[in-house]
Amino acid sequence: MNKGNITTDYPLTDVQRLKLGCLLDVLIPASQEGHMPSAGDLDLIAYLQAKAMDFLPSLIALLDALEKDFLTDNFEGRYQAVKKLSNDEPGLFQALIYQAYALYYQSPVVLEGIGAAAGAPFPRGNAIESGDLSLLDAVLATPKQYRKAPS
Amino acid sequence: MPEANSNEPVDVLIIGAGASGAAVAWSLADTRMRIVCLEQGDWMNPSEYPTNGTDWEIQQHGPFNIDPNIRQRDTDYPINNDESPINVVNFNGVGGGTVLYAAHFPRLHPSDFKVKSLDGVADDWPISYDTLDPYFNQNDRMMGVSGLAGDPMYPPKQPPLPPIPMGLVGEKLASGYNKLGWHWWPSDSAIITRPYEGRDKCLNLGPCMSGCSQGAKSSTDITYWPQAIRAGVELRTRSRVREITLAENGMAEGVIYYDEDGNECHQKAEVVIMACNGVGTPRILLNSKSNKFPDGLANSSGLLGKNLMFHPVAFSQGVFEERLDSHKGPQGCCILSKEFYETDLSRGFVRGYNMQITRGTGPFNTAIQGYASGQIPWGPDHHKAFQRQFDHVASVGVLCEDLPELHNTVTLDPELVDSDGIPAAKINYTLSENSKRMLKHGVDRAEQVLAAAGAVEVSSTELVQSAGWHLLGTARMGADPNTSVVNPWGRSHDVKNLFIVDGSIFVTAGGLNPTSTIQALALYIADTMKKNLANLFD
Repeated sequence: MNKGNITTDYPLTDVQRLKLGCLLDVLIPASQEGHMPSAGDLDLIAYLQAKAMDFLPSLIALLDALEKDFLTDNFEGRYQAVKKLSNDEPGLFQALIYQAYALYYQSPVVLEGIGAAAGAPFPRGNAIESGDLSLLDAVLATPKQYRKAPS
Repeated sequence: MPEANSNEPVDVLIIGAGASGAAVAWSLADTRMRIVCLEQGDWMNPSEYPTNGTDWEIQQHGPFNIDPNIRQRDTDYPINNDESPINVVNFNGVGGGTVLYAAHFPRLHPSDFKVKSLDGVADDWPISYDTLDPYFNQNDRMMGVSGLAGDPMYPPKQPPLPPIPMGLVGEKLASGYNKLGWHWWPSDSAIITRPYEGRDKCLNLGPCMSGCSQGAKSSTDITYWPQAIRAGVELRTRSRVREITLAENGMAEGVIYYDEDGNECHQKAEVVIMACNGVGTPRILLNSKSNKFPDGLANSSGLLGKNLMFHPVAFSQGVFEERLDSHKGPQGCCILSKEFYETDLSRGFVRGYNMQITRGTGPFNTAIQGYASGQIPWGPDHHKAFQRQFDHVASVGVLCEDLPELHNTVTLDPELVDSDGIPAAKINYTLSENSKRMLKHGVDRAEQVLAAAGAVEVSSTELVQSAGWHLLGTARMGADPNTSVVNPWGRSHDVKNLFIVDGSIFVTAGGLNPTSTIQALALYIADTMKKNLANLFD
């Protein structure tokens, strides 16, 4: 059937791909200051193909549930369309949020933007303040003591 | 020492390689008896723990989830929680629950052992804090416990390592407690803050509850087990016990278990020790029916599986204007408060609760939990709401003592089975009015201290569902065979070569994390067994 055509393993049609970009831009838009990317700037499809293939059919169903004019609408129109989608398909939408957030909050650019270190925590580790133990002086100044019990 | 063949009898057979099984194995090893431990799970590989990867938070929702019904490893067994507002959480593997626990490591208080005498409710334990004191200390040294001596809410004790850094979260909450004149203290933590016994110190990775890649958290696979194995104990993994078999003389003969390939094996032993926690132990004993024990082995009292205690948990989170670096440092170990631990009937309930200050979550969990709670929406307000919370939160866990009640039970589910076809556990549990009042009081006080510390926004969960870590009371200890399952040193009243060393034998629960006390009990029982070897079955 595809004889003579170049085929790829990209699972979305062009319209679905465009809808996905717009949908992710609504879920997590770029920050106004510009230091945080939009979720649409990240490659959700590659992430799902690597980590959550099972979700792809659900994603396609969600994208197909969006009207075609979703692509030509302004942000407010898209926002309302996504809100309707979240009400119509709460389970699938929740799963989309999970996957979109999982992708977004692993991105080095995003982690840098929120002031967290990128990459695996180990073996990098974290430095934290030791804390001021002199605050315990107030505790030790009270007569409180453990409750004695019979042996 | 040669390994025992499956069919060759051993002296001691321990079921379960978690907190208590590891401690009892290590202690008994110096007898040079032939000791085998059967563990249904695997050895863990720290290089496979989530913090080795960028998807460390995602894995907490899957293969490293604390709920076995979600985790669904083939080494897990399902649990029917349908009749319980609290879900059982655990881990099955060498180290057991200590692999995924927070490592918050307080001891029970002296008063916890004498609840009936002091407050007229439940029952006294047949032993006291003083009985366990040397074993608490021994366990602290074996596990590697960090803390600060001098807490006026305890008899004198000296943790072997300095405390976990409080961080900005601890400092902030401490200032709140001081404003209110309430007790607080740096938590005892089973996390090493200095190099200790060949292990390196904590790196403040954060998510202790998905396994510690650094090996700083003291799970028993890296504390007790290496020493026990060097001393000659054999540990067989992927060995799932179905039942304990009974000899004609009424003594335990051994166990039937399934090995890694699903083969049914019979292991005979002179002594059988249960160390499977307050759900796993009654499950196996209830599955061990015979003509002599038609209602389950060692159950002539009818109390096996009854009096389940969980510790109901409430949780309050405060959002602060200042950045607190909340996602850094051991999430569950910071400071605690015993201000409301002891009975004060003017509060409207008997007994009390511990307040455990916890740090925040990582970015993904902040976002997804914020979505679930409605505090961090998707859409144009996402970034603002996220940044308001991430690294800006501190939380108070309210961990309540629940009293033993006969109707809170572990039974066998009539339909649900594990992958070997063994009937699964079913939980029936209801919150008592006393617990409900305690939870409400705890939430009010948690919100009060968060506000005193400067939180600009406070939200609470009045009962955390996935918080059934502490599985206690289902085979209680006591001197009277009519009102207890095991005697004051863990030996079954009915079957004199059957011992229980896990949280099942708690008489009451206290109001705090029980692992320290569970392990001290296991060491105490092992020591008592050693002292009575000549007449162990008399």
